[in-house]
Amino acid sequence: MANELLFFMEVLVGGLLAGTMYSLVALGFVLIFKASATFNFSQGAMVFFSVLAFCGFMQDFNIPFVLAFILAALLMVVVGLCTERFVLRPLMNASEDTVLMATIGLGYVLEGLAQAAWGVEVRRLDLGIGDFPVPWIADNLKLFISALDITAGLVAALMIIGLFLLFKYTKIGLGLRAVADDAGAASSIGIPLKHIMLLVWSAAGVVALVAGCMWGARAGVQFALVDLALKALPVLIIGGFSSIPGAIVGGLIIGAVEKVLEVYIGPFFGGAIEGWAPYVLAIFFLLYRPEGLFGEKIIRRV
Amino acid sequence: MNNSSPNILDIKNIEVRYDNVILALHDVSLKVPKGKVVALLGANGAGKSTTLKAVSTMLASERGKVTKGSIDYDGNSVEKQTPSQMVGLGMVQVLEGRRCFGHLTVEENIISGAYSRKLSKGDINQELEKIYTYFIRLKERRKSQAAFTSGGEQQMIAVARAMMAKPKMLLLDEPTMGLAPQLVAEIFNIVKELNQKEEVSILLAEQNTNIALKNSDYGYIIETGKVMLEGTAQSLLNDDKVKELYLGISKKGRKNFRDVLKDESLNKRSN
Repeated sequence: MANELLFFMEVLVGGLLAGTMYSLVALGFVLIFKASATFNFSQGAMVFFSVLAFCGFMQDFNIPFVLAFILAALLMVVVGLCTERFVLRPLMNASEDTVLMATIGLGYVLEGLAQAAWGVEVRRLDLGIGDFPVPWIADNLKLFISALDITAGLVAALMIIGLFLLFKYTKIGLGLRAVADDAGAASSIGIPLKHIMLLVWSAAGVVALVAGCMWGARAGVQFALVDLALKALPVLIIGGFSSIPGAIVGGLIIGAVEKVLEVYIGPFFGGAIEGWAPYVLAIFFLLYRPEGLFGEKIIRRV
Repeated sequence: MNNSSPNILDIKNIEVRYDNVILALHDVSLKVPKGKVVALLGANGAGKSTTLKAVSTMLASERGKVTKGSIDYDGNSVEKQTPSQMVGLGMVQVLEGRRCFGHLTVEENIISGAYSRKLSKGDINQELEKIYTYFIRLKERRKSQAAFTSGGEQQMIAVARAMMAKPKMLLLDEPTMGLAPQLVAEIFNIVKELNQKEEVSILLAEQNTNIALKNSDYGYIIETGKVMLEGTAQSLLNDDKVKELYLGISKKGRKNFRDVLKDESLNKRSN
């Protein structure tokens, strides 16, 4: 009995921690959705692009770890700059749907550029953190939990706290929230949309880099990372597209639910249900709580 | 730079087109003297909002363009400016329909108006207290989410937010739209007070001709993108044409729309 409970705990904790990896990807989406009310389809490509560049700097140019990370982060700021100048600004008066389509195009450009610059083979990314159970926890709590999962959890927590403070208490955060609510009104009182967009896309780029590092360390830096973006979709539907805490909680729920279902119910379906179970959950949310758990309620005065 | 001019705003014969085709303004000229309140009157679609947006340079974000004429604000041409630069120069537009940031609190909304200014936290609080002296009602509701406040309160938020940018000139676009008469009076009282105590020049677009003229120094009436009539507020209030067309009062006394239609059909028949 105790063993079964222990096993369940292990599945649950493993799932929750794996979920923070989804949260990291979802965070990038939330940032951009908040400011431009657009689902950024190129977020997956940004993850791939940033972490491939990071690996490229380290492995092809022998640049030390920290410096390579800073360079990759700067590169994502440049990507944000170019996106604002060449994609968002010309589309300033276009509908949200048009911007959505543009992000799909941007995704392909980034994928192409990344592979043209750094090649197509799968790269190994060693963060110096193993993806194996931490001995101390295994010995004392009898739980087998990966060190990488714990790191991802900690990194995600730090980023959330940082972003939360940024949004809630800084002038830039206030500007960001104002633009998210009504870009026209924000511009009428002198909030420069250009700067806000640039900032948001750069921040989303850096978040993509961090998410890419975690996923790259686990699964290898490869093209498949682009599809990770799809896993963020149910996370966002559950958590709410415009909520940072939502991205985290949504990620945790998806992570835990998919692992638990896989272990306990999966065998009845012949396994591999973690690929689609999150989407089923997302459909229920769309039906009964379309704004997600933490999404901003669509406020309509009557 | 010509700051000795008595006019803070000088619009000369502007023509505005949307999408390079749709002609919204034919020929609009108007002046706002420093420290005065000028009313821009006219029906829906006459071109009031377009005129204000041409001044604040918000037209560009709606694919509109000033194709002829010139707009001078405080000695500068507004042609090459962006909306945020205009705010920096002290010109703030309060958009039609209030446009508060619904998910922000009342206080956050007001503070956001100071975004373009480099102020310390202490300075912001000081400014905020000053603003609250004009908008007492908002102080009580400072922690509420703006979307849940009433229409009148939202209009006050929009004006208070604009005042946080420390404007020399305010452009108000239909500030009383959809408000109860008592609130209309309250809003106009605040506007007057801001004009007198803070020395803000005001260009006011309104459909509510009567109360707008009673609270202004000068008025312009535009129809289909053209200035049809201008004069001091008092002279416009006493003008027979204005009375008949905009105030619904004819020499014979009050006149309603049905009477106007009847007159027209009689005229047609006699022709």
